[in-house]
Amino acid sequence: MSAPNCLRCLVRPSAALRLSAPPPASALKPATPPLTAAASRRAPFSTTPAAAAAPKSSSQGQQAAAKGHVRKGKRLTLKGKKKQKSLDHGKSPLPGERKAYRKRITLSNDNAIKVPWLTDLAAPDLADPANVGKVLALPPTTQDQLRASEAFKPTQTWGMFRQPAVLVRKETVDLTQRMQEAAAARKVLRMVVTGNKVTGKSLMLLQAMTHAFLNEWVVIHLPEAQELTTAVTEYAPLADTSPVQYSQPVYALKLLHAIRKANADVLAKTFTVSEHSELPQSLPAGSPLLAIANQAKEVDSAWVIFQALWNELMAPAPNRPPILLSLDGLAHVMRVSDYRSPAFEPIHAFDLALVRLFTDALGGAVKFPAGGAVLGATSRNNSPRSPSMELALAQREAEQQQQQQPGVEVPQKDPFFRGYDERVDAVLRSVQVLRLGGVDRREARALLEYWAASGMLRTVVDEKAVAEKWTLAGGGVLGEMERASLLTMRV
Amino acid sequence: MPPRLNLWSACRALSIRTRPAVAASRPPSAALAAPVALARRPLTNNATTPLPPNSSNLPPPPPPSSSGSPSAASPKPDESSALEVPTSPENEAALSQLRMIEYGLSPLDPAVEGHKFGLPELPLPSQKNSKYRYDGVVEQLTRLIMKDGKLAKAQRDMAMILNYLRTSPPPRLDPSKPLLPGAPPAHHLPLDPVLYLSLAVDSVAPLVKLRPFKGLAGGGKSLEVPIPLRARQRRRIAFNWILDVVERKKSRGSGRTQFAHRVAEEIVAVVEGRSSVWDRRLEQHKRGTANRANLLNNQVKGQI
Repeated sequence: MSAPNCLRCLVRPSAALRLSAPPPASALKPATPPLTAAASRRAPFSTTPAAAAAPKSSSQGQQAAAKGHVRKGKRLTLKGKKKQKSLDHGKSPLPGERKAYRKRITLSNDNAIKVPWLTDLAAPDLADPANVGKVLALPPTTQDQLRASEAFKPTQTWGMFRQPAVLVRKETVDLTQRMQEAAAARKVLRMVVTGNKVTGKSLMLLQAMTHAFLNEWVVIHLPEAQELTTAVTEYAPLADTSPVQYSQPVYALKLLHAIRKANADVLAKTFTVSEHSELPQSLPAGSPLLAIANQAKEVDSAWVIFQALWNELMAPAPNRPPILLSLDGLAHVMRVSDYRSPAFEPIHAFDLALVRLFTDALGGAVKFPAGGAVLGATSRNNSPRSPSMELALAQREAEQQQQQQPGVEVPQKDPFFRGYDERVDAVLRSVQVLRLGGVDRREARALLEYWAASGMLRTVVDEKAVAEKWTLAGGGVLGEMERASLLTMRV
Repeated sequence: MPPRLNLWSACRALSIRTRPAVAASRPPSAALAAPVALARRPLTNNATTPLPPNSSNLPPPPPPSSSGSPSAASPKPDESSALEVPTSPENEAALSQLRMIEYGLSPLDPAVEGHKFGLPELPLPSQKNSKYRYDGVVEQLTRLIMKDGKLAKAQRDMAMILNYLRTSPPPRLDPSKPLLPGAPPAHHLPLDPVLYLSLAVDSVAPLVKLRPFKGLAGGGKSLEVPIPLRARQRRRIAFNWILDVVERKKSRGSGRTQFAHRVAEEIVAVVEGRSSVWDRRLEQHKRGTANRANLLNNQVKGQI
């Protein structure tokens, strides 16, 4: 099809067409017939000049002729102009599709350039101080495990690179080394990761989980604490508990699926020590733990199965794997939840059985048979204020600093404030605190080089560029560095 | 502006030693005090070296290293230091710079001396001004997205549009809807989203607009006259057409990326030739060509 106008200019193609090919009949016919011909055709027997004939007019012209010359005046409109929106009424998304679109996680971008020097993470890599300031890729199996346990978040920038990769920071090596030491001594590392917003707290949890997956730990991750306490999932009182505890069977089922998918290899190599007759299909002693997790199909039995699995993992037997129990958004569980008891009294988050399992472990009441770690990360997005948690973390941090410099003052409770929570104080009495800040310039440079090599940062990475981005990012705050160099409009 | 620190930065690299001829002409005590006094002297005089004004305040001169009479010892340290002074490359460079200054040349590069990161290149590039830091096209389109004066939101939307373009697969071009001549191949576009966006907008931008002249067509009708557009006007019209299409589209998901993704999808559609904006452009060009005879109207001629 040839367009009547050329697409790039205003020249009509007719002249060119005439030169090249014999024109079709319609093209030969001129747009307006010459006057002489028209006159001769119209009135062969009339002597009236053709010009005096009534002009052939359109319907508008006829109307105007009928009414005389009427000019349409302005009309007073009292209401505002109505917008005529013609939405295309296609099929609207099904329930849940919109949320799925919002929460969709993309881990690769085929447009990004492959980085030649990028190597996959191996088991000891994250605990090796020589790797500080290097960007290392997550191997595919670990990606699947992390995805199953919902460690990736939609706000992170995984979707811009060819392959998900992480920067090894000093704090990463510090954390993973402490995890290793704890597992070697069969103790539990109890730690809270905190810091200002977008400093990489969730990513630190992801790195800890990566280390655990690579070293064949069992990882149980609660990705969003607010799903547990904001009354968005079903709950039911548990029998034989005093004070009453509440289970959350739907969430437990989801969690069991995640545990099974992420830890299938390790669970298949670990065997039960006792018989389980309370399960939907009773299991004899000596069957793999994966068989317990595989039974999770119904909401009704989910909590029983989860308890059986947890008890087996806690059973003192020789070949137990270390356990990493982690939770993101700690402030949500350190408060009174939005659930109500049958007497319509608010339920404390610690009375939810799943939360209590985590807080008991964080408070040090549970011993893991092969050691492990309990990690909680605070969040700066949509997190409720928890004065007790804030105070406790500040106190623990000051106590840690006191060991280096004795002059540091430990903050004390405000005696005129009533909002403190005794139960929260008890849990956070002896945890360690890992505070995250900005990365140093060497690490920042490694990151910028990786971004530039992927084709996502279109500048030369020299000392000047690094200094500029590092300073713009408030001293190397990772999220701000992403904002300054990946998400700008200059790109 | 001549650099202030240049001479001193050259002098810093020099090793200072006394001149043998001057030292020999002086009395021995002054020659001994010379190394200390020289360091305090503000200006160098080739002919004579005046004595320090108050030699009583000075610390005692250092004892000569070699035993013997002071008169015999005075030229010796000069010779030995002349032999011993390590001629580092920095020292040589500084000396040659000093020599050039003596000849009246300026050997020091002001872009390097005294600045940690050098001086900015001149004339200052436009993006160094914080008000013009973004690409011109992107800046203009961002303002067109803006509603209720919320520029930051518009900028976030624009960043999300560019990110969508970066992560979407390369467009499949339609040869019947050619892009601007000289456009890069399709697989280059996602890695340069600013180019992608401006290419899409510039390719559908109309060349003319039709300006109505009231009452000139007779019967109170207005006479439409094609008027050529400047680049900035063309982009504005084209992007407003795109935004019109976007407004009528339905979103498929939820969340803050929805508007940005709809705009980006439409831009991809423009580049692939699927968009209805192409028809709108063609229509405008048709009317412009049809009405071009109106340019010859006598009353119009005077007004354009």
